[in-house]
Amino acid sequence: MFLIKKSDVLKLAQELSKDYQVYGPFVEKTSGQAFFDKVADVAEISLSAPIPSNPPKQAVFPQMERILSYRYDAAKKAAEMNPDYKVVPKALFGLRPCDLNGMLCLDRFFMGQEFVDDVYLAHRKSMFIVTNSCTTAFKQCLCVCMDSGPFAKEGFDLNLVDLGDNYLVEAGSDKGKALAEKMGLAAAGDAEAKQKSAALDKAIKTFEPVAIDNKAWISRVINRVTTGFAREDVWEYVGDQCFECGACTFVCPSCSCFNVVDVSSAACDGCTDRLRTWDSCSYEGYARMAGGHNPRKPVEDRRNKRFFCKLSYSQSKKYLRPGCVGCGRCQWVCPGDIGIPNVVTYVRREITKQG
Amino acid sequence: MSEGMINGKIVTIPEIATIEEIKDEIRDVKTFYLKFDRKEINDNLKIMSGQFIMATIFGAGEFAVSLPPSPENDRFHITVRAVGKVTRALHALAVGDKVGIRGPFGNGFPFEELKGKNIVYVAGGIGLIPLRSSIVHVLQHKKDFGDVYVLLGARTPEDHMYKENLKEWQGGVPGFNCFLSVDIETPGWKGEVGFVHTLLDKAKIPIENTVAFVCGPPVMFNTVIGELMKRGLSDENIYSTLERHMKCGIGKCQHCAVGRTLVCTDGPVYTFRQIKTLGEQI
Repeated sequence: MFLIKKSDVLKLAQELSKDYQVYGPFVEKTSGQAFFDKVADVAEISLSAPIPSNPPKQAVFPQMERILSYRYDAAKKAAEMNPDYKVVPKALFGLRPCDLNGMLCLDRFFMGQEFVDDVYLAHRKSMFIVTNSCTTAFKQCLCVCMDSGPFAKEGFDLNLVDLGDNYLVEAGSDKGKALAEKMGLAAAGDAEAKQKSAALDKAIKTFEPVAIDNKAWISRVINRVTTGFAREDVWEYVGDQCFECGACTFVCPSCSCFNVVDVSSAACDGCTDRLRTWDSCSYEGYARMAGGHNPRKPVEDRRNKRFFCKLSYSQSKKYLRPGCVGCGRCQWVCPGDIGIPNVVTYVRREITKQG
Repeated sequence: MSEGMINGKIVTIPEIATIEEIKDEIRDVKTFYLKFDRKEINDNLKIMSGQFIMATIFGAGEFAVSLPPSPENDRFHITVRAVGKVTRALHALAVGDKVGIRGPFGNGFPFEELKGKNIVYVAGGIGLIPLRSSIVHVLQHKKDFGDVYVLLGARTPEDHMYKENLKEWQGGVPGFNCFLSVDIETPGWKGEVGFVHTLLDKAKIPIENTVAFVCGPPVMFNTVIGELMKRGLSDENIYSTLERHMKCGIGKCQHCAVGRTLVCTDGPVYTFRQIKTLGEQI
């Protein structure tokens, strides 16, 4: 463990910017909204910014990305494959613990199943992560219910904990430790460890009232959703509320469904780019097959799948944790009021009605 | 193992194959015989009955299609109905044109568990395509299995798939029976008229020590399964292969999610008992 003065903390980002494209949270001046994206100047980064509107997943899983390009000369009958996804090493600076856990879900899903996703792996292996553990709760936070905060536990290279005048800097990898040592950071001792533990206790106390509604119920709802005992009318109600806009899936740190399209490219005659783009299970065409058969036509059939992904043991087996990381963004963006906390409440009501 | 393959599968970058021959099957359905440009792919590709591949039609896109060839002693081919943008682009291709192939993906039929059992195949229309691999395999290894029944229903006699195979299957191999039906009375058709489940009685299918493979459009699927279960076949002895919209084939894009499973990696072959627990439409 190391210490860095609060006024010096962006020097870490400055150092990282020599080898990495730096991403961080910043507050956009015109709208006052916080975003997480690449920054031209590390001075833009604000570690006190609220939870950014967008999750950091675009750094590893861009909204649109070329995964292959190929050239086919129809006259000569010659085809040429070119897997040229552009990967720049990135440093994510000031990632919130919920978002870190979202990325760990994606890691286990893209790299830990039967097949490894080469494109994701290329992005991920050249990445440096500095987390910013949370000491204050924001209005939509429910990480304490989902075991993803308020402090980061694993998966970071460096983790920052606000101790007042200083940040405690914890190294989670050799890469992280090497950077801290290179920067000549002061070593932290037992006193700071105690301060950290007190800060964590205090943080949990501020998070609990925000998430109190959902706290005891999420595990019960997870059980219901997994076993299929959540009643049909709950999903019908949720389906009725859904605008099919896809916003919840795009702001979710652990949602990763994608579509693949081949688009002809201007690079040459016969050149085609294979692009993958974010997709959403809320769209009607999501499961529709050529010929028109659509096994998930009714919106409630599609809607409950998102909550199945976020709240079932079967999906947790792929992520090694619940699919929801408790960032609260879906609740924030949903025009139909069916973010995760509300859906938990609806299922909970059904449970109590059944007695 | 050759470069570009993992366990006999082409996972990420499509391998280029040449169309060697095109055969018209029925209206809008053609069979494309393919040969990979790289010899080591031809030599090392491992197929299991029931699996599928992702086929790239250059400039149009990629689609999932089941594999009809038997794992052994069969030409590599796909049979495709022109139904959407990419399959129409494939139908516009000629002999000598190139396509890209990834795969094969999916679980395949569990032949080891089926040894010694009677097998009933029930197919509706082009539902015979994903079953062909298994039927040919079973015929090649007939002594390992009990009595085999192939029941194929189609709208008209012209809509019966794989006519050459049908002729062979009806050719009196001991213990191997093939019955055909048409939905609509057609001049010149002397066989059975009615939906495919009417063949179950005509064929006098056995129930003891029997498994059934069912594939076809959802309406036919539900009727046939109902009829099979009425006759006493249990849900764990009824297999089917599910069709879904697929984009990656390797369990990442999630378009083929059915319940807690993904058709591309957990399927496409499911028992009806499994299908019932998935809680989704077929």
